[in-house]
Amino acid sequence: MDHRMNRRECMRALGLSGLTAGLGWTAAPAARAQGIGESSGFQSSVIDARKVQDARTAATIVDGKVIQPQRELPILHQTDVLVVGGGSAGVVAAIAARRAGANVTLVERYGHFGGLWTGGLVVLILGHIVKGGKQVCQGIGEEMMRRMDKLDGAIIDRRPGVNPTVDAEAAKYVMVEMIEEAGVDVFLHCWGVDAIVTGNTVRGVVFESKSGRQAILAKAVVDATGDGDLFAAAGAEFEHRSHNVGLVSRIGNLDRVDAERAKEAPKPRRLGSATPAPGVNWVNLTGPEVDGLDLATLTRMEMNHRKFIWKDVQRTRQTPGYEKVYLVETAPQIGVRVTRVLNGLNRVRLSDLKAATKFPDVVGVGGASNATHGEWQIPYGALVPTTVDNVLASGRCISMDLGMADLVRLVPNCFVTGHAAGVAAAVAVQDNCRPREVDIAKVQKILRQQEAYLG
Amino acid sequence: MSGPAEPKMPSGTTVVTGHRRIRWMVRGICLVAVIVVLLAARQTRWPVVVAAMSPFIATGSILATHTVSVMACLGLVIGFIALLRLRWFCRWVCPLGLCADGASHLGRRCGRKPAKRLSVGRWIVLLTLAGACLGYPLLLWLDPLAIFSGALAFAAWPAVIPLLVILALSFTWPHTWCSRICPLGAFQDMLSSLARHIRRRTEDGPSPQRWSLPVARRTVLGIGAGAVLASAARLAHRPASRPLRPPGAIDEPEFLGLCVRCGNCIRACPTRIIEPSLSEHGMASLLTPILQFRENYCLVDCTKCMEVCPSGALVRLSAEGKASKPIGLPEVDMNVCLLGADRECAECRRWCPHEAIRYVWSESEYALAPQIDPQKCTGCGACEAVCPTKPKKAIVVVPLADSPGSSGLAAEATCASSSSSGACEPTCERFGEACGPTRVAICLGPRPATSRGQGSTGVPAR
Repeated sequence: MDHRMNRRECMRALGLSGLTAGLGWTAAPAARAQGIGESSGFQSSVIDARKVQDARTAATIVDGKVIQPQRELPILHQTDVLVVGGGSAGVVAAIAARRAGANVTLVERYGHFGGLWTGGLVVLILGHIVKGGKQVCQGIGEEMMRRMDKLDGAIIDRRPGVNPTVDAEAAKYVMVEMIEEAGVDVFLHCWGVDAIVTGNTVRGVVFESKSGRQAILAKAVVDATGDGDLFAAAGAEFEHRSHNVGLVSRIGNLDRVDAERAKEAPKPRRLGSATPAPGVNWVNLTGPEVDGLDLATLTRMEMNHRKFIWKDVQRTRQTPGYEKVYLVETAPQIGVRVTRVLNGLNRVRLSDLKAATKFPDVVGVGGASNATHGEWQIPYGALVPTTVDNVLASGRCISMDLGMADLVRLVPNCFVTGHAAGVAAAVAVQDNCRPREVDIAKVQKILRQQEAYLG
Repeated sequence: MSGPAEPKMPSGTTVVTGHRRIRWMVRGICLVAVIVVLLAARQTRWPVVVAAMSPFIATGSILATHTVSVMACLGLVIGFIALLRLRWFCRWVCPLGLCADGASHLGRRCGRKPAKRLSVGRWIVLLTLAGACLGYPLLLWLDPLAIFSGALAFAAWPAVIPLLVILALSFTWPHTWCSRICPLGAFQDMLSSLARHIRRRTEDGPSPQRWSLPVARRTVLGIGAGAVLASAARLAHRPASRPLRPPGAIDEPEFLGLCVRCGNCIRACPTRIIEPSLSEHGMASLLTPILQFRENYCLVDCTKCMEVCPSGALVRLSAEGKASKPIGLPEVDMNVCLLGADRECAECRRWCPHEAIRYVWSESEYALAPQIDPQKCTGCGACEAVCPTKPKKAIVVVPLADSPGSSGLAAEATCASSSSSGACEPTCERFGEACGPTRVAICLGPRPATSRGQGSTGVPAR
């Protein structure tokens, strides 16, 4: 812990110095949608022939302990709203905040948008409808669906009262399109690893990348990491939970199953559900309940699941009629469901779902995974940490009780909480106030203008 | 509500015209009051009063259950008045009697004549009360108040049939139902003849006039036949599968005898999960209440159905008592369950009010399966109601075996492969069956492919 405290103090010092430096900094050119440039042809060129990195700040061993020496971090960028995590919640949060008028920066640890939705191949839009078939996930999430409606082979089962399934690549494409249109600054391959904190206030984020460890300063931060990495690093109280960790895969050639021969034997168990790609199904895997933050566990899950999936598809191929079925891919990203959950000002509770509680500070309405129950409201307080300022939770790490975990974490509900966090952060920046003091009526008004459904 | 505190009228057959008018008015008011209570006060306790007024049901219930409920007291009071006033209830209150009278008058107008024979009322009473002593009141459901109450529950059209039959009967053979068949009327007759007998004994002094031979013979025969029939009925129904009954239901087949099919529980249920049995469980079960959890479930703190049962077929339990006497226990069909196909679902676990369901990971199956804790489960059906699979629900509440105390578990079964945590291992041969010592109600159903034929190419044993 000593080591950690040192690092945090260093970050705070950095943050302060950055702020007192006034307007002296220059923001790095963010990767807005531009062409690649002049480089052409199949060639490699030397950028720097004899480059040596400064090893004085490399970690070293002192008295048998590994120590990272204190060092100044380059400030890559400054922004109004910084969204950490480009998953379903983060992308919607970034677009919403930008459309609400703030300068927005989005950092994402992988090379694409969508997180578990696309990288994890959780392509089923589960949880956007309620009993009776009414669709409660509206706003930017619904806009993505509409855009996919117009694409060929991007989405199936888009009927009222049915959970549609999207194509992960189409979703990635639509998100790139919308992020570019909105004018969000994006840094991919950036893993937000630490919060920059002064007192109880988050000032920005330190991230690790191939370009080294750098900082982005921001007036408000939306934690869309899924695991709550940022609010945890900033010292907000959270609940550490275990949940099932699985891995989705896709199998192909299901349109070439020999229906006659298939009658000879029982149907294979794991055939999954249809996707927009013809003959390709996505196959869920629930996995055992483990700690999704534990490195050894994650490693074991990745290896065990891939082993199991390969063998399981081989078993399917041994079933008469299913010989041509093959494994298209296992998801690049492991399916971690719930890990850290914020202990916020308020909570999303199962009892409130059952009682259909209405909140005056409602910022979103969640749906049912199988249209088995009514809608449930998400209070703004569920996004706000109790003590730490300038950071809002969104996605599967917002404040919720155990019974709500399997609803809050669903993709459309992540759209909804992302949307709320994005707008609230933008309003806080514009009104120059802490997110906990934000004008809820204004947030609700903008959310409604952005076609969100608030009950 | 209606009834007991009615104006006095001279006994006997002399009927003054003015008096007659008053009587018809009182009967009309009673009929309207009963209909209003049955229809308008559906979800209150008031409808129970209708069937509870019957001294026939009260006596049958007391004999069969050996308990005297508050409701039975009402019937006893009315029975006591019947000792003093010949058939006063029929003439002043009985709603079905008024309807039957109306049909009879119509029949008369059309020139129909009352039946000469067919005097079976006393036999019905004797058979039923004798059966009641053995816990099986054979024909208690023929009580006119129960029939009237059941018909106005409007739960299903067959419930109206008994009422229509009585009206048709009264039209065809005027007054025959009331005077010769109705067990409630016959019971009152028997009560007043008993009273007459006692009165005569006390007036005549110590040289009593004995019961006439036919009466004694009939009584002995009736009681004997009732006992035989009740025993036969109980034996005949023993092995049959019992349907899912409302909470507090006494064991089958006694339930079939004691339930008067009044429809009160069906009326009272706020979640409308009680419906009359039609053809599913045989003729004996016809119109008895059964549970279905298609849309809703038995609320944890609700005891309404038990509060409105006039006969004691549903024992009155408190909300806590309800938990200790489970309605049934859910069974999971892993061929239907979404988790069986590795799809994302947590509905039954989320909605179980008792947190009795958990999902257990099986490393060998590499999948999750719901597991029910029979210690916590009350069989309320919340899991079944929310189960999203269609058309068949993957989780279905099934009745427990009748034997008290066993909770439906095969207590002799020993589970060799159960882990220390009490979880069932899918490798176990008995996986999928009820299995005792581990308290796993229903094992996590295996893929039939595994159990049916491991040599086949389905899902080989892992």
